[in-house]
Amino acid sequence: MAQLRAQPAEGDPSDRWVAQLRKGALEMAALASLWRGRLYGLEIIRFLENHSRLVLAEGTIYPILSRLKAEGLLTSEWVEAEAGHPRKYYSLTDAGRQRLRQMAEAWVGFAGGLSRLLEPVLHPADQDPSAGTPVLKTQEITQ
Amino acid sequence: MTAEMQIDSYLTALRLHLGPLTIAEREEIVREIGAHVRDSAEETGASIETVLARLGPAKELAAQYRDGLLIRQASRSNSPIVLLRATLRLATKGVFGILVFFLAIFGYAMGGGLVLTALIKPIFPANTGLWFDGNGHFMSSGTLFPPPGSSAHEVLGLWYIPLALTIGSLALLLTTFLIRRSLRISQHWQSKL
Repeated sequence: MAQLRAQPAEGDPSDRWVAQLRKGALEMAALASLWRGRLYGLEIIRFLENHSRLVLAEGTIYPILSRLKAEGLLTSEWVEAEAGHPRKYYSLTDAGRQRLRQMAEAWVGFAGGLSRLLEPVLHPADQDPSAGTPVLKTQEITQ
Repeated sequence: MTAEMQIDSYLTALRLHLGPLTIAEREEIVREIGAHVRDSAEETGASIETVLARLGPAKELAAQYRDGLLIRQASRSNSPIVLLRATLRLATKGVFGILVFFLAIFGYAMGGGLVLTALIKPIFPANTGLWFDGNGHFMSSGTLFPPPGSSAHEVLGLWYIPLALTIGSLALLLTTFLIRRSLRISQHWQSKL
């Protein structure tokens, strides 16, 4: 399956729409990556790549983390690492957990409703199997 | 250029473009991005050049930090300059921003204009006021040079001063409130868009 790219897509309006949609989910995705415990920036990027097929322009996530922290949804701490330089770890605050839970509920409700709406678009053949009539092609319907 | 020099030059550019932030905020960002570049290069074995390219130009990265901060600070500010700067920034992002920007200009111009004419009234009493024509139709208001002709009569007299001050201040307050409100809304969108 094609990956959703983070870079602002140019040209094709449907590419742009996908890019907007992706960006829209990013704040929630960043919070969700921290649900199980603290991570540093690069770990968050990798986590999102592995768990959600969200491929990020790597610079995108840091300003978002900074904003979430300013909103009190995240805290951060510098931790000395074996790598030789310290890393900035982020974790969810109580407010962050609460906000994420609300976002997740809203998202799932919204996506569930839309999926039902889009079902006939993606699977036109399932539309009315009992009728036994051949499924019209899009072109014929619009004529 | 060595790897360290490449990183340094990127971070210097980043620091430069993060200008409006406090030194502490700036250094924190620079330190974090520096750690990211080193970790990312180490982890993937990619060259520093590749890692920096994936981060995007320092100027754009800094702009993403600054936008969030500018709008966040402005949504708590009362200063017309700070608010107008933020709305101007917002106006570059879409139709909503452009509408807010024009509303801001209109609101400040109207409110500021009324307050200004209230202050001018004692100096040019004949040129400032609210005029109706002989049939009781509104003709003009504010400060006019020269004042409207003899067919017009000014109806408020010195009452113009408190009225213009009150309405003008209300317009300024309402404009401030609406801009801050819009910036907060846009902040929510921004975090989603």
